[in-house]
Amino acid sequence: MSIDAPVPVKTKRNYNVLFGLTLLALLVLLWVALSLATTSFASPNNIANLLRQGSMIAILAVGQTFVIITGGIDLSVGAVVGFSTVVTAMMINAGFPVWIAILATLLVGVAIGTFHGFGIVKMGLPPFIITLATLTSLRGIGLLITNGNSISINNDAFQAFSRNSFLGVPNLFWMVILVGIPAYVFLHHSRWGRYLFSVGSNAEAARLSGVNVQRTIYMAYMLSGLCAAFVGVLLASRIGIGNPTQAEGWELQAIASSVIGGTSLFGAVGSVHGPLLGAFILATINNGANLLNVNSFWQRIITGVLIIVIVFFDGLRRRGK
Amino acid sequence: MNTASSDLHPEPDLAPGATILELRGLEKKYPGTHALKPINLDFKAGEIHAIVGENGAGKSTLIKLLTGVMPRTSGDVIWEGKPTGLSTPHEAMALGINAVHQEVVLCRHLTVAANIFLGEETVRFGILQQRAMVREAQKILDDLGFELPAHVLLGDLTIGQQQLVAAARATVRGTKFLIFDEPTAYLTRREADQLFTLIRRLKAQGVTIVYISHRMEEVFELADRVSVLRDGTYVGTRNIGETDDAELIRMMINRSIEQVYHKEKYEFGPVIVQARNLSGKGFEDVSMSVRSGEIVGLYGLIGAGRSEFVTTLYGRHAKSAGSILWDGKDVEIKSERDAMRLGMALAPESRRDQGLCLNLSVGTNLNLPIYKRISSNMLISGSQEKKHADQQISDLRIKTPTRHALASSLSGGNQQKIVIGKWLNHGARLFIFDEPTVGVDVGTKAEIYRLFGALLAQGAGIILISSYLPEVYELADTLHVFRRGRLVATHGFHTASHEDVLTQAIGV
Repeated sequence: MSIDAPVPVKTKRNYNVLFGLTLLALLVLLWVALSLATTSFASPNNIANLLRQGSMIAILAVGQTFVIITGGIDLSVGAVVGFSTVVTAMMINAGFPVWIAILATLLVGVAIGTFHGFGIVKMGLPPFIITLATLTSLRGIGLLITNGNSISINNDAFQAFSRNSFLGVPNLFWMVILVGIPAYVFLHHSRWGRYLFSVGSNAEAARLSGVNVQRTIYMAYMLSGLCAAFVGVLLASRIGIGNPTQAEGWELQAIASSVIGGTSLFGAVGSVHGPLLGAFILATINNGANLLNVNSFWQRIITGVLIIVIVFFDGLRRRGK
Repeated sequence: MNTASSDLHPEPDLAPGATILELRGLEKKYPGTHALKPINLDFKAGEIHAIVGENGAGKSTLIKLLTGVMPRTSGDVIWEGKPTGLSTPHEAMALGINAVHQEVVLCRHLTVAANIFLGEETVRFGILQQRAMVREAQKILDDLGFELPAHVLLGDLTIGQQQLVAAARATVRGTKFLIFDEPTAYLTRREADQLFTLIRRLKAQGVTIVYISHRMEEVFELADRVSVLRDGTYVGTRNIGETDDAELIRMMINRSIEQVYHKEKYEFGPVIVQARNLSGKGFEDVSMSVRSGEIVGLYGLIGAGRSEFVTTLYGRHAKSAGSILWDGKDVEIKSERDAMRLGMALAPESRRDQGLCLNLSVGTNLNLPIYKRISSNMLISGSQEKKHADQQISDLRIKTPTRHALASSLSGGNQQKIVIGKWLNHGARLFIFDEPTVGVDVGTKAEIYRLFGALLAQGAGIILISSYLPEVYELADTLHVFRRGRLVATHGFHTASHEDVLTQAIGV
């Protein structure tokens, strides 16, 4: 039968690898170009700085990707980061050991994710709405708690963590690896990862195949909340304060990184390496634009154009050209 | 300003019997595939021309070429004596070529009237004349003899009714050439009759009808001529009076009709599942049981409560009364996972909506119910995953380059094999197949039926739901007839005639 005859089909696996390599090539190309165009880009200091800048968005983007793969969206992550800096700062200043402060912050993140899952699964709210509601109200709660003031963290060791390096690589970048590897194994080699894809592809088919769709949705938002709270801890360490208005707009950067990294907003398509590369491509563009003295307003425009170009070419290839 | 009704009864430009459309060496190549080899075929004004062939025979390709959805690779199309490009859908519509597709491609969130006039709305001073359109649409529907309200949302209608709306929509567009692609796949007999009346009426008005169907009896009921495609090749055309289904099936495949419904008898074992006075949403007081080695057929019109009954059995919906016994013991089935744990498997009615994750790979789809079993400590065993998927692909003869290909890239018949195949590894003991062969060709049907036999031989029981009487009639050991949510009759194998079963289902 002609249509059934083996057609050269681009398999998903090949495609993912190919796309990842393309992104990597783009990143390397940017780095080479910037090294040639500026004297300061390739300096160890700047590279370390770039890695720090990109790391936090990268971790957010991983959590965001889990949610997007299920066909949802998490607009709250920026607000969760800001709120988490407050939680961490208050706990440390209250005299709790740092590890307890961190653990408590992470639990807050998971709790917020659980609330999102509840809103979506039990109340039937669209993900966009429930996370949008959290976005605005969480900033409000943070401002109420802090009375609108920043909380300075009185713990030098905690703050030093984000500035230090290990084996010549900034600690913050190690955190990306710490999150990235388990995330990769989880998404591509565990059945829960497979269930995320199946829910995003066809929730009804997944349910009829025995997948616990509700639990899978809960899990996606809890992981996103967890990643965001973790980034909140890192940010608190980096800036040394707790402030609920921090990380303004980071949710959009995380979504942009994820999409540049090949995640489909329609669900069921995505990876871990893609969003990581996407985040560092964005960080490189910002960093390079600063070094080249490009008006910072242009950075936003460039980011927008990049999103359109990458997603457009991705769509072209997906359609099999 | 558009007044859609003026197009309802177009004057035929050609005398009936004159050639309206002629294909000369039309062909289509995809990279790696010769989907349609050069075909010469003519369509006469006012004829009903059936096209039959197995899935993948090139019918869909032919439709896409005729409706301008995609450009041809080479060949000429002669419309009313003049060569035409026919390279865009717009061009096809301008000529008067329209199609009614098997899967309804209309807007579920708009009203019936809005769908009928979509793209040709009645507008006055830039304002939509909604009430006028609803009135106009209602008149069209009434004229056609469809008992459908024009003001309701399309999504509130059954798939069969939506199909009728799609047909109505096609008739108001000055259509001279109308293609029906498997229109009755989801229709009840009554809806199908309404559609046939419409088709005959259009024919009388001089409209050329191209009718694509897997159902031989419809072809013989409707068509004037029938053309056969096989493997992208045009096999031949026959006048309907000069052929029979045996010849057509021979032309389509090289297999005889007895080989399709191939049924072996198996020893019945103990009762696997029993429903006692079960009631739920859409059905009432249904009692039945399924034994090991038995196929229990559920026949009835769409909406008779068969699907609701099995989805309740499967834990999708809560029962309101009655009890379910599994291996003789009372069980509470609260979710699909409860049902699966007991050993049930459900291959649902609509592969696109319920059965498949289309943008995931064939392998993932096949393994979805068993990931728990093939992973240890959360991690999936890659070798197990490969083994199970490849085994199903070869056992079921799923035509796919590798298990990594996306499910969406497969033909309908092969997709259906995935929906069924994913349960074979699961080791269930009760299989529920809801309309397993809708839109599937004869060859694939035979393969699916052979699968049933393999399941029975392992001691499983099967519930088979079908709206296609010959299927349940030839396969079921016990045949239950549903009407309006109730089980109205039960027959053994071939103990009642087709007519009796049909009469009980319709309730005349």
